[in-house]
Order: sequence, then structure tokens, then C-alpha cells
Amino acid sequence: MADVVQVVGTDDPVRPLFSEAGELRADARSGLGLDAAALRDLYQKMVLIRRADKEALNLQRQGELGLWGQYLGQEAIHVGAVAALEPTDWIFPSYREFGMAMCRGVDPAEMLTWFRGLSHGPWDPRKYAFAPLAVPVATQVPHAVGFAMGSKLRGDDDVVLGTFGDGATSKGDWHEAMNFAGVFRAPVILLCQNNHWAISVPLAKQTAGSIAERAPGYGFPGIRIDGNDVLGVFAAVRAAAERARRGDGPYLIEAMTYRMGAHTSSDDPTRYRLDSELQAWSAKDPIARYQSWLQGQGLLDEAAAAAIDGEAETMAEQMRTRLRAAVPAPAGEAIFGRVYERPPDPFTEEREEFEASLEGT
Amino acid sequence: MAEQTFRLPDLGEGLTEAQLVTWRVEEGGQVEVNEPLCDVETAKAVVVIPSPWAGTIQKLHARPGESVAVGSALVTIAAQGAPAPVEPLPAESVEATPSTLVGYGPGAGPPAGIRRRARVAPSTPQMGSDVRAAPFVRQLAKERGVDLAALTGSGPGGRITRADVEGAASPVAATSAAAAASTTDGERRISVVGIRKAIARQMVRSVTTIPQFTEFAVFDATKLLAARERQKQSGRSMTPLPYFILALVKAVRAFPLMNSSWDEAHDEIVVKQPINVGIAVNTSQGLLVPVLRGAERLDLMAIADQAARLIEGARAGTLKPVEMSGGTITITNVGASGPVETGTPIISPTECCVGAFGAIKPRPMVIDGKVVARSGAWISISVDHRIVDGALATEFLTALVGELETSRA
Repeated sequence: MADVVQVVGTDDPVRPLFSEAGELRADARSGLGLDAAALRDLYQKMVLIRRADKEALNLQRQGELGLWGQYLGQEAIHVGAVAALEPTDWIFPSYREFGMAMCRGVDPAEMLTWFRGLSHGPWDPRKYAFAPLAVPVATQVPHAVGFAMGSKLRGDDDVVLGTFGDGATSKGDWHEAMNFAGVFRAPVILLCQNNHWAISVPLAKQTAGSIAERAPGYGFPGIRIDGNDVLGVFAAVRAAAERARRGDGPYLIEAMTYRMGAHTSSDDPTRYRLDSELQAWSAKDPIARYQSWLQGQGLLDEAAAAAIDGEAETMAEQMRTRLRAAVPAPAGEAIFGRVYERPPDPFTEEREEFEASLEGT
Repeated sequence: MAEQTFRLPDLGEGLTEAQLVTWRVEEGGQVEVNEPLCDVETAKAVVVIPSPWAGTIQKLHARPGESVAVGSALVTIAAQGAPAPVEPLPAESVEATPSTLVGYGPGAGPPAGIRRRARVAPSTPQMGSDVRAAPFVRQLAKERGVDLAALTGSGPGGRITRADVEGAASPVAATSAAAAASTTDGERRISVVGIRKAIARQMVRSVTTIPQFTEFAVFDATKLLAARERQKQSGRSMTPLPYFILALVKAVRAFPLMNSSWDEAHDEIVVKQPINVGIAVNTSQGLLVPVLRGAERLDLMAIADQAARLIEGARAGTLKPVEMSGGTITITNVGASGPVETGTPIISPTECCVGAFGAIKPRPMVIDGKVVARSGAWISISVDHRIVDGALATEFLTALVGELETSRA
């Protein structure tokens, strides 16, 4: 018994950066080593991904997308986590990580073709080290751990980030992944975006304990941090990634945030939660907070902020125009194209037969 | 200037219709991209639809309260300035295909992804087992009693589509818009949607599942009015409603069974802890019942404040659904003025009790053997007889009258 506690207690480079309440300490904040351009870049990315989120919801309401899951309010996690990783570190997202994909350089208009039903996977995961969005809850967590094991076995120094919501922590997949990661010391950062709601199930009905504190039970450290502070998320993920890169194994970060929008465009949260809760979290908006911090540091004036807003508008307009112009893959390609790398003959024949059946119809 | 018609999209993964709640634009007005056009209520949520184009509103195709089928015209906009925005993927030759991309609404037949050449004329009717139709279409035909062999398929190669079956099952499009307008021999048919429909469902559920009876009493409101007058002099005017609620709550605390629910599945009575008082409010939208939560913890002032807020919110239509659910007992009134004295309220499922208050007005009462004019009002309660017998209802009503007659400021 004592051994387990010792293993957990030996090496935790993340915890010293944070207060008991999960706030990034002042000295840690000033010691991040980010220059003015890098600090402004975090702000710009948050503004851009929020605007993209808003535009996507509009497009869904206009019948251009089948579905949209907003990440409004969770931008600090999306931006801070991606910025803390190397571009070659893989990310395994759930379905709400469109903002993370944008931070990795995936074209937002192309990405939306997935939500439009035109594409099964609009970006090449290898190009962006960004796995396909996982809609089934928690399935991406074992993928992340398994991929991290691959990296470890190959002996490269890549680490993997697996991200999921509070609801995912109730799934068997999550437990299996956590256990496997602990036993084999997989170089993986497990990032829980605790947004307090799993569709209509509140956190209190999701877990009776703390998500972060489960990590020691699996043999590695975990911490609960303020997920609406972009620099806090950046600091935690970076320290956890460095630790994993050194070969010291997994780390669980529970970033506390709030799902400001509906679960998806098909959901109406006013049926199950009170306005007062939303109001309280509005006051902790990650972009407004960071903007005022940057202004206080003299790193962002009104003209710079307005320029970023203008850039966001242009991006949104392009996203809209280009999405509407998107042409679907021909049916034959869409159905048969991505099944085999080298299709066997009967499969090719079936495809030809199918394509012939479309002729003349 | 290109005129474009925006059709109602499937807003929530498989919806077939939505009710138009309100327009936020007018015919002849200007609209920008993403500016709100209207609010619609689907089976899942009330959502605001933003405009897909900038331009002048040419025509609004639906009225508030009307049901609109997915794929039906919602608004026509004359686009301004720049060339018409890119159409959402080329429409597939067919006239009635909505430009909406997704969902299962009318015309959802050809997947947007498949480019097809002009359709060949539908082939001759297929015989018996030669009928070409997908399993779900066959199932649908079975449900609707449609003979597939008698249909001409409009799909590729004469395949029978969902739309073909639906067309055969109901020759006239069964939209409520059509129904609303139809008249026969002086009858007028009014489409029932939204709140009217919800009330109807609840009332049928109540009278078909709850054996309920009603008792009546008259109470002397002298002290209540005096207390109210003292309040008024100390600068606080209020209606009798907060006094009624407070008296009801006090009486319920003495008779907790009145705040319970019959659990059909388990043959159990579920006695509720908080007393959440539903307040029936007549609004322009219809009868709404906002819920005053945890009334047992509130004093008269807090009850007055919250009731006023809820009633105002109900009238303004700004309450959240969560503020109109979770009631454990209901209170209503039978007109604050006018000749009507009382009525037999119907229990709101799955509560046990509903109380109705009449108007307070002077009426003859016998005091010490003499007929005198005193202010008073009728009160009636309907209760679930599975839970409460007549004797207990009488005791409760007596206690309620006692509370009302000893009201204090």
C-alpha cells in the first residue's frame, strides 16, 4: 500500500505551479517564458475559435449543418492546451474540440463538411497529429493511451494528449485507459474538460467524488485547475507534457469550466438548468478575463483587439462562403473509397456495379 | 437582386415541423446575414433562426402560432448588392426539394451527395414481389395501410420512396396550416398546437387517471383584509394571493398528504418534502402555471415578491420551462371580480390537491344570531380520492379556512 502512495508522491511538476484552489501562482504566471507576441497569440486564437463556434451555430440554424456542439466558454482549454504541446504531439479529441483542431491549423470550412454530412473525416490526422473527432463518449481515451504506448515502444519522444468531458469519466473505457496508462507509464496527458454538464446530467449526479483525485488510485498524479485561465491551462499541460516526455508517465488534469451553450444544437438547456448558474459563469468568461489581464500588462490596446475582431469576422465570412460551396465526394468514393488501402477484386467489382447503377438514374 | 426563399431546416436531428413563435423582421424590412429572423419552437427547443442572407424581406410565409413543416418556405429575401450567395449545393432538378440539406423532411429522398442525371420517366407499375422499396418504406406502407403494388415509384429505377408512400396515405398534405384554414358547412377547424395542446393532454390525463372530488367552503376575510390594510399603510400594497398561498402552505404542513403524489407503478403514495406551489395564470398565450418553489421556507413578503415575479414573467412569456415545472400543489382563482363565486378545479397531474379561491366581497353572514354584512369568499379544493378521503379533505379545508380567518400582516 505504502509503495503506491510513494510512487504518486515522487514527481509532480504541475502542483507547485498552482494554489490549493487550482489557480496559477503569480510567480508561475510571470515565469512562463512567453513573449508579448506569444501572449497575444493566445488571445487571438481564443477570439477566432469563439467566432467560428458562433458562425457554425448560425449555419446549423440555417440548415447548412446537421448538428453543432458549441464549445462556448471552453476556449481557454482548447487554446492553452494546444499551445503547450509540440506540433508533433498527437491529440485525441471528443466531438467538442473543433477549436483545438483550428489551433492545429485544420481549415475550419473543411472541418465543417463533417458536420454537413459530406465527409467522414475531412482532414488527414497524420498531417495535423490530430485524430478524428470521437462522438461515442470516452472511446478516444483508450486510443490516446494506446497511441502513447506506440510512441513509447518506438522510443520517440512524442507525447499524447487525450481530452474528454466530465461525463466520459463515468465510462468503462475511461477506467481501462487510466489503468493501462498507469501500469505502463504511457506518455499521455489526460485532460478532463469538466464543463459541469453531460447533456442534462449535472456534475453532482455524474460523480460523488473528485475526478482529479482518482489519478493517484491509478498510480499517477492529478490536479484540478481553473480551466477558464488560458495561462493556467498552458502551464499545467506544458509541465505535464515535459514530465511525460522525460518518461515519467501519465498525468491527469481536471480543468474546471462551464458549457455556456447547449449540449448540441438539438438541445435546450433552459429545460434543466437555471439562469443564475449561467450568470455566475459568465463572470468568469475566459476571453474577457484574459483580455483585461493583457490590457493590464500593456500588451493589448483597443486597436489591436479591434483588429483581431475584424480578422475573426473575415474568417467567419470565408468559412460560410466556402462551406456553402463545398462539393461532396462522388457517392462511389464516399462509400467505398476509404475501406481498403488495396481493395480486393470483389470489392472493386461491387464498387463498379454500384457506380454503374447510378448511371442513368 | 436575386430573390431567394429560405425553407425551414431540420433544426434538431430528425424533426419534421416547428411552430412559429414570433417574427423579428417585417415584410419590406432589411436584414443582415445572421440577424435574427424569427423564433420557432420545435419538439426539442425554442430556437432563434438567423438570416442566411442579407437583403430585403419580401414575404413571410407563416404566421405566429402556425406549424411549419421542415422544408416549407419560411421567408423570401431579395438579396442585395453582391451576387447572390452560393446556393447550398445545387438542387437536384426536382421542384419541391427544399434547399435544406439534412433531416427527414419532405423531399429528403436523394442524398445531397449523389449527383444524378435527369430522372428517367417512372417505369410502369411494378407487380407483386417486383416492387422496389427499401425495408423502412415497406414498413411505413404497412403501418399506413398503403398497397405498394398500386404505387408508381418516383425513385431511381421506379423505386418507391418514403414520399410516395406518404403521398398515397394522405393525398392532402396534412399540415396544420392547411387544416387551420379549412371550413365545412360553417364549421371552423382550429389547429391545436403549443400550450393549448399541452393543456388538453394534461386535462385528459387528470380526469382519466385521477378519481377526484371537490369540497367547498366560505371563509370570513375580515382579518385578512385588515392585515392587508395595515400592510398598505406601512407602504406595501399586495393582492390577497400571497395570503392565500401562505394559508395554504400552513394548512399543508398540518396535512402533509395534501402535498403528495400517487405512484401508479408501485402502489405507493409519495409525500413531497418541499411545498412547490403552482400558480395558475391566465396569459395571452393561454393558461400557464409558474411554480413558487420551497414555499414552506418563505414568509409573506418573500411569497409576495416571488409570486409577483412569476406572474409577471408568465404574462411576459419570459419564464424558463424549469420555472414552470416541479409543482406539488396548485392554486387558482375564479375571477377576482364579477358574479362567479366558485368552481370545481381539475387537479394537475400528478399532484394530489388544487385549491380555487373566489372573489372577496361583502356577503351576509350570521354572527351571534344576527345577519350582518361581512367580507368573505368561496374556496374550493379538489383532491385525489386515492390518497385522501372525504373526512380528511374536510379537516384540511377546515384548517385552511382557520388559517385564512386568522391571517396577520
